Amino acid sequence: MTAAAGLVSYNTVVVALGVAAVGFAAGVVGSLCVLRKRALAGDAAAHATLVGVACAFLATGRRDLVTLLVGAFVAACVGLGMLVLLRRFTRTRDDAATALVIGVSFGLGITLVSGLPAWGYANSAGLEQFLLGHTAALTARDAWLLAAVATVAVAVVAAILKEATLVAFDSAFAAATGWPVSGIDYAVVGLVALMVVAGLPAVGAVLVTALVVIPPVAARFWTDRVGTMVVLSGLIGLVAAVAGVAASATRPGLATGPLVVIAAAVVFAVSFFCAPHRGWIARRAEASQGMASQWSDGEVGP
Amino acid sequence: MTPTGPLVELHDVTVAYGRRPVVWNVDLVIDEPCLFGIIGPNGAGKSTLLKAALGLVPLVGGEVRFFGEPLGRVRSRVGYVPQRETVDWDFPVNVMDVVLMGTYGRLGWFRRPGDRERRLARECLDRVGLADVAGRQIGRLSGGQQQRVFLARALAQQADIYFLDEPMAGVDVRSQERIFHVLDDLKAAGSLVVVVHHDLRTAAEWFDRVALVDRRVVAAGRTGETLTPENLQRTYAGHVDVLDDLAQAIAARGRTP
Repeated sequence: MTAAAGLVSYNTVVVALGVAAVGFAAGVVGSLCVLRKRALAGDAAAHATLVGVACAFLATGRRDLVTLLVGAFVAACVGLGMLVLLRRFTRTRDDAATALVIGVSFGLGITLVSGLPAWGYANSAGLEQFLLGHTAALTARDAWLLAAVATVAVAVVAAILKEATLVAFDSAFAAATGWPVSGIDYAVVGLVALMVVAGLPAVGAVLVTALVVIPPVAARFWTDRVGTMVVLSGLIGLVAAVAGVAASATRPGLATGPLVVIAAAVVFAVSFFCAPHRGWIARRAEASQGMASQWSDGEVGP
Repeated sequence: MTPTGPLVELHDVTVAYGRRPVVWNVDLVIDEPCLFGIIGPNGAGKSTLLKAALGLVPLVGGEVRFFGEPLGRVRSRVGYVPQRETVDWDFPVNVMDVVLMGTYGRLGWFRRPGDRERRLARECLDRVGLADVAGRQIGRLSGGQQQRVFLARALAQQADIYFLDEPMAGVDVRSQERIFHVLDDLKAAGSLVVVVHHDLRTAAEWFDRVALVDRRVVAAGRTGETLTPENLQRTYAGHVDVLDDLAQAIAARGRTP
């Protein structure tokens, strides 16, 4: 009894750690993505992952996390590649191309995942958990793997933060001064794809992009510096991920993804209203103060 | 390093967006430090020409050389001030951060700016008169101040040739004066300053040489000899809206020897 309890709590702790690391890294990577105004790229990558999960299962017959996530990553990259090709060769606009990739790849993914049992792949049960996220099935080994991926992603961002910030702020100047702008863009989008895939088990394909987008947007309210924003965004991602996972553990059958997104949305709402300077309340106060000082200026006159 | 060829040399440059040519057959040689204006009507391809020279838009034909070499080999000697509207001024960086970006080219991959770069950046901010707003978020600046931040960033590149794309657009008169004085100082220090510019009056007043551009080079040379009524007529033919400007420019030219 005590041994079993100890085992469970070890697993729970490790899974929580892994999810926390993924949340942090997603927020960190997401900052670069949002600053470069590529927030929807993550969405395209995320929705493409289901096809990869299904194909990896079909190709190998295995359903361990590593196999499925490798498939998901490949599919995410293919989805992003389609995005690039669509824009370059069909002159489809950015938003339309993104919507196209999201819709088509997701339709394909859902068809595959939901059709597998009907086609005789009885042991495919569980793949649909990648739709909305389910951490209950995660093992300690899975969690360590996710934590390792998250650490690598954070390390890469730390290494190229200067270059990525330059490209995000002023790509023309970056190109004119000799920086490989598209190379740096590919690196950032590749990191986003990586974090989308790492967030898949906890948050699921439909909502994982929120873990990449909401934390940086919330963090932006509190600071005017990129470095601070990146760290803060990571912390918000961490809190949201852990809170969501903890909440979903309170009732069996509760999907994790929606709860993670709700937790992130709460942080966003607090930031939107309460942040100094950029928050809604502060801006209202500033505006009315400006009005007041105008009035008092008027009264000073002769 | 001594220049081995003309400072800037554009040979038969043609640029197109899609299948639509924007500028064509541009030949331009600038062989001594000066304030050089690229003048022409809206949509004449002035900015495109500048971006083509910097390798930011692909050439359909022709070639560009700096000091007799392709740009890739002398990039650190070429400074650039893009148009102000091309960036998001709500971006979470302060004035100092932006000016430091001018040092990134020399720093290279992974190295962060240190004390030396910060000192240089502060110096550059001082030269454009913005030392006291170094810590301010860039969105909280006036248009003229934002333009001067961009100029300071170019100064931090410590280049020999500077390209500026419409640095006076949407800029108050005081900032304009300040910017022109800084450019003049650069020239005095032996740099070449190439400016895409649209205002004929200030052009006549400040530039040593100009190129009149309307999808090709209509005329180029010393300002006094180039801004003639005939050349201006040829450049601005069909642009009735600037005829007034044009008349004033000619009048201004008449006043200065």
